[in-house]
Amino acid sequence: MKKFRRIRQAASLCLASLLLAGTTAGEVHATSIPYDTYNYDYREYIHFTPAAYVPDTTVRGSGLTWNGEPLGSFVTPQDLCQADDGRIYVADTGNNRIVVLDGKMREVLNVISTFDNNGSEDSFKQPYGVFVSEKNEIYVADSQNNRVVVLDQAGKLVKIVANPQSESLEEGYVFVPLKVAVDYADRVYVIAQNMFEGIMVFESNGSFSTFFGTIEVEISAWEKFWARLASKEERAKQVLFIPTEFTGIDIDPDGFVYASNIDPGGEQGVRRLNPRGEDVIKKGENGNVGGDLWITGTTEYAGPSQFTDVVYRENGIYSCLDRKRGRIFTYDHEGNLLYIFGGLGSQEGTFALPVAVEDIGDRMVVLDATRGEISCFQVTEYGRLINEAVGLRYDGSEASAVAVWERVLELDENNELANTGIGKAYLTAGEYELAMKYLELGMNRDHYSVAYRRFRNEKLTANASYILTGIAALIAARLIYRQWKKKKTGKAGVENG
Amino acid sequence: MAKYFSKEKWKYLFYTITHPMDGYYWIRHQERGSVPIAVLLVVLFSFSFSANRLLASFVVNDIDPRVVDSFFELIGVLAAYLLLCVSNWSITCLMNGEGRLKDIAIAIGYGTAPITIMMLLGTIVSRFVADDEQAFYTMIIAAGIAYGVIMILVGIMQVHNYSLGKTLITLFLTLVAVFIIIFLLLLLSNLLGMVVNFFRSVYTEIIFRT
Repeated sequence: MKKFRRIRQAASLCLASLLLAGTTAGEVHATSIPYDTYNYDYREYIHFTPAAYVPDTTVRGSGLTWNGEPLGSFVTPQDLCQADDGRIYVADTGNNRIVVLDGKMREVLNVISTFDNNGSEDSFKQPYGVFVSEKNEIYVADSQNNRVVVLDQAGKLVKIVANPQSESLEEGYVFVPLKVAVDYADRVYVIAQNMFEGIMVFESNGSFSTFFGTIEVEISAWEKFWARLASKEERAKQVLFIPTEFTGIDIDPDGFVYASNIDPGGEQGVRRLNPRGEDVIKKGENGNVGGDLWITGTTEYAGPSQFTDVVYRENGIYSCLDRKRGRIFTYDHEGNLLYIFGGLGSQEGTFALPVAVEDIGDRMVVLDATRGEISCFQVTEYGRLINEAVGLRYDGSEASAVAVWERVLELDENNELANTGIGKAYLTAGEYELAMKYLELGMNRDHYSVAYRRFRNEKLTANASYILTGIAALIAARLIYRQWKKKKTGKAGVENG
Repeated sequence: MAKYFSKEKWKYLFYTITHPMDGYYWIRHQERGSVPIAVLLVVLFSFSFSANRLLASFVVNDIDPRVVDSFFELIGVLAAYLLLCVSNWSITCLMNGEGRLKDIAIAIGYGTAPITIMMLLGTIVSRFVADDEQAFYTMIIAAGIAYGVIMILVGIMQVHNYSLGKTLITLFLTLVAVFIIIFLLLLLSNLLGMVVNFFRSVYTEIIFRT
């Protein structure tokens, strides 16, 4: 009896430890990433995906040294930017300086806080935005000094862009540049504070040329109706219909400007502006490039995503940073949502107030203004495969993308883009039945339709002889039957008669 | 039962579909129709409606199969049928309609037959159409619905011996009556709930005090 009890004890201990091991393993897996990674499918259901990017390291100013002395924490940094040579420029707004880091963000290469302005020493006041042009010139949006300062790599002043002169500007307008971007022709695109008419464009000589990409105000019929009913005094007290301001800006190598804005409807948080200032973005199958689709609710956490920065990456892929829920939404050139990662919180890999996002090779970095930190995210197998496959499709080699999409499917069975990609390749290869299967899984109705039509016509031509013989046989049978019936009724008639 | 489902009644159903004017007239005056067949047709209509939503080909069908619940749709269609019949009956009673509830039920029930048939046909055809041939599918469904609506209209007109204008007016009033009935039902259920709640709280009060 005693022995039996001991065995039972041992067994229960074993079982308990097994259970514990099982749960702890599960917990470790769950806590390794501090945010949900999901995507929206064709029917706008959430489906959870593997993580495309996972938290890697966090860079703090206090952990860096410059000339043997500690650099000191970043204070409300507002922007960061990577130059073509790999260096990373951080606008350390609260410390009135620009910090230059190496591509791995381990060393400080330079700290720019003063520069020589025609013989006198000059400094920044709240530098809000920073951008490095193709010529490797540093553009600093020196917000409280109302100017954009252009420096070369040696820290020498190239030019100052300030004092925009135009008839379309109000008198007494104060130019407060917040974000800046420069295209291949050295045209300067500036997002200025309280400038609702769009992005301000300056020519390479520093003169103001025009407004760019104005966001139209949309007034619904319902609002117009109420405005008509309201008296003058009432109207004066109402909220003005003001277009939203742009929040972040980036430029692709072809000179298209990507600019994020906060859309109260949550449908379009980013614009792709062609050189004429027209929005040419594609909105994908859900007709939406505004971040989260499930935004209803009354809590503080509900409501449309608020894109605060955008970064153009490569092959038509761009990422937008949502400060509402701290998520990074990545879209391809067709506006399909590729993956979502990031979140608000206090763990590593989450943010308090994210303000800027940048793509650094196989890492994504996000600048957190409140904490003065740069969070790095390392691409995973899943994210890398999607980037690669989208890149191949962007180049037009859909056939070679199939192998990559198939590996994406191994990781995420319900990935509609992968299914569509494979389906399209089968369609081109003439494997219509397989194409139909994958295109239906990918919810791509147009291409499914084409595949089905070819499949049907193929079947019809292949079996034409059987079908025609069948029809001929049916006609013959009908003729014989009629003859036979006529004979019968004829006989009957004779009999009756 | 045999009386309701006799061969003659079935034959007369097809006569009514092909000759609505005459058909409905004799349904009213010679008992040629059958209420059970009408109800059966409505049930079949609900089935074909669900089948169309569920089985029509991917090319023409944008409905999420997860939201199709054929049992729920059957209940819904039957409830709508009952509601329409009763409210039409109550309106036409006040407006010198000659039809009995039975005739109205047959008029509406028989009227769903072409919709049922065309929806089934459309579902089958949809399996064989590609992109730009969608128009065929839409046309089949639209024709079915149009003919069904015309049949119901003619049916109501004939069983009550109305003119077309009066029929349209009564149909509009029928819709109003439907809303009134729904409103009253909601009110009733709400008030009943309150009464039940009252007795329940009295009960709990007694239970807690003893």
